[in-house]
Amino acid sequence: MGAPKNLVKLENIRKSFNRNTVLEGISLDLNESEVISIIGGNGSGKSTLMKILTGIYKADAGFIEIKGEKADHLNPFAAHERGVYLVPQEPLLFPNMTVEQNLTIGFSKDKNEVREESVKLIKELGWNIDLNRFAATLSIAEQQQLEIIKGLLRKSKVLILDEPTSTLTFSETESLFKVIEQLKNSGVGIFYITHRLDEVFQISTHAVILRDGKITLKGRIEEFTKEILIKGLLPAGNEHHYEDKFERRRSNHEGEEPILKVENLVGDGFKNISFEVYKGEVVGLAGLVGAGRTEIAEAIYGINPILSGKVYLDGKDITKLSINETVDSGLAYIPEDRFLNGIFSISSVRNNITSQLIKRHGIFTKKKLEEQVANQYIDRLRIKVSSQEDEIKSLSGGNQQKAVIARALSMNPKLIIMDEPTRGIDAAARGDIYSIITELKSQGFSILLISSDLEEIERISDRIYAVYQGTCNVCLNLDEINAVNVMKAAFGTFEGSDKGHG
Amino acid sequence: MARISTIIKQRETRTLLFLILLFVVVGFINTDYLSLQNIDKSLKSSLLYIVLAVGMTFVLLTGNLDISVGGTLGLSAAVCGTILRDGGNIFLAVIAALLIGAFIGLINGFGVIKLKISSFIMTLALLSITRVVQVLYTDGKWVENIPANVKELSKIDIFGMNLLSFFVIVGVIFVQVYLSKSRKGRYYTAIGDNVDGAISLGIPVNRYIAYSFVISGISASLAGLIFVSQIGFVSTNAGAGIELTVIAACVLGGVSLIGGIGTVIGAALGAIILTSINSALVFMKVPAFWNDTISGSLLIIIVVIDALLVFHANKKAKKVRLNARVLQKGAQG
Repeated sequence: MGAPKNLVKLENIRKSFNRNTVLEGISLDLNESEVISIIGGNGSGKSTLMKILTGIYKADAGFIEIKGEKADHLNPFAAHERGVYLVPQEPLLFPNMTVEQNLTIGFSKDKNEVREESVKLIKELGWNIDLNRFAATLSIAEQQQLEIIKGLLRKSKVLILDEPTSTLTFSETESLFKVIEQLKNSGVGIFYITHRLDEVFQISTHAVILRDGKITLKGRIEEFTKEILIKGLLPAGNEHHYEDKFERRRSNHEGEEPILKVENLVGDGFKNISFEVYKGEVVGLAGLVGAGRTEIAEAIYGINPILSGKVYLDGKDITKLSINETVDSGLAYIPEDRFLNGIFSISSVRNNITSQLIKRHGIFTKKKLEEQVANQYIDRLRIKVSSQEDEIKSLSGGNQQKAVIARALSMNPKLIIMDEPTRGIDAAARGDIYSIITELKSQGFSILLISSDLEEIERISDRIYAVYQGTCNVCLNLDEINAVNVMKAAFGTFEGSDKGHG
Repeated sequence: MARISTIIKQRETRTLLFLILLFVVVGFINTDYLSLQNIDKSLKSSLLYIVLAVGMTFVLLTGNLDISVGGTLGLSAAVCGTILRDGGNIFLAVIAALLIGAFIGLINGFGVIKLKISSFIMTLALLSITRVVQVLYTDGKWVENIPANVKELSKIDIFGMNLLSFFVIVGVIFVQVYLSKSRKGRYYTAIGDNVDGAISLGIPVNRYIAYSFVISGISASLAGLIFVSQIGFVSTNAGAGIELTVIAACVLGGVSLIGGIGTVIGAALGAIILTSINSALVFMKVPAFWNDTISGSLLIIIVVIDALLVFHANKKAKKVRLNARVLQKGAQG
């Protein structure tokens, strides 16, 4: 038995968007019959790397070899031709076509030939997909199976699975793993992107950890334990990027009435969520993107339906109230995507700040009052504008976010939910937002902070609840909050406090 | 979910059932309506709409819209009419008309794929432009005195059936086979169904969008030729407002305005329904102005039903997706 055949060779891949380096010096080999798990937090560059391999992006430097041939000008179609196939997280099927039509479209071969091959493949894989069903009626798992068949029909030797199990149920996951095993034995090489550490040990032959665009660890799976993986995911040396100016309180809340109390909340994307937020406290909801944090926040605020459970705000039952009513009861929500949901982009800064407040005015808005309110918040939150009339679109991300915070504050809320408040904001503005949060805390506002930025949530929160796959079983108190514990909790492997890294 | 699939399958059947129902109900009130003569007449008067609807279906399938068909129809009818009036060769007239249609379609396609103008705006602009070009070309006069033998063409019968009707029916079946059975024909549906998916399969998306506009343009000029032979003269506002009727016919026939769903047979049935309602009202002695109200209401009912179905399907899919992420008890390895 000779050396295994090399399928993909990436060398010194570098990619940056604008001035932001996303990938640097990435070198990676995939041989026949290997399953390489690629693990990394949000924004570590996993998806970008795979998009370069499939020709969606072009690398700034470095070179790619597919099956020993140099691949310079990749585009998605050329990547298919060379046998590299990406099964995306959300399958790209044609929902209004039948399964058969989905499989046969895009081939220059005879349709009947393709159909026969598909039938044979489906039989070999032991799947049960009716060719005459419409793709829209398939479950997510079946759609993924269809994507995999599409890849195999193209004689792909390299399959990239992008978090395939994130939308699968347990039994569907099991059958997917069986397929991966079969494919591996038949010589296919697989890149397997995942957040779930258990899966890594279940199916892969190698593991690679990406952090901030660099490979921090790679090797055969036998050399790893969960502990090692978690360590590789952590920022190097736990450097302190931000000044530690947050006075955090480790208060005893016994006997105190919580501002927000969530009891056994069940909804789409999460279940049995319980937690409390007390007055003057910053509570972090840690977890990975897709863990269900935003869905929980939206359900509390009244955007998404609550199936069962109770939400109390300052003792008042606000379960199943409309958004209008939750706002009136004293809840404010700063949404995750500023451009999509946060700002009215072509309105002035003043109108953005007062956009919620004006519903408390009469039939006509009161311009004097609006100016006064806007001025007050522009000063207080140090929003950099030349005039209140500036279009909010023209401000920097940080100042836009401050205006959104101003809008939330103008309603004088009891609790502010902040979903990724510093995403896409430069370092200086970040510091500003943190000091605003500290200030709000000292004034007695309570804040529920959702953040994927490990360092951020670790430094600001007084307490942290970890959301993992739609459940919330871990609560970290102030003395338990450290990078290792938060990371473990986010990946669902927290079992008890680990003081060794504190 | 299985129910939705059967409903998708039934889009055209639904239209056909409605057409039959229309004939039965109106025939019950006035038996003359069911005479072969009347059915033949209904079919004849809907030919123009059928041809336009077939072309429009291509554009709608890719998720675009072509408002310019009325203008294309008018201009190509006027050009064809003047050539015939001035004693020109009939083949020359036909080819000139078809070239005009193809050219207008090409401009539409260029604007949509290269300049990235929304198809609604692009074709709306061309509608206005072609109208003006037609007025300039004809000096604002009607094109009359077209040789009588041209009009005779629309009256030839073959196998006891109008020749034009025969051609159109054969044409519709041919196009339907192309769209649903041939390899490339299905690209149009694919583009409207999922553009990203189409691109990743290597389908030349832009080229096929351009084709769809050219096909719609050529169909519009074919409709212009039918117009000349059936009516015998071309007014300056020939085909005005026809684009909305045609889009309505397509939607009635089950073609989705978002793209990705629909057949030309359905669109043709939709066109027949809209013209049949017109004549049905005459037979029922209802004033003709009710026509638009009835077809309008019908349209709303059909669009609302479709929108509700899609809405519920999407909501359910999102729910399934979110809940699949939730950790199941005991599932952790």
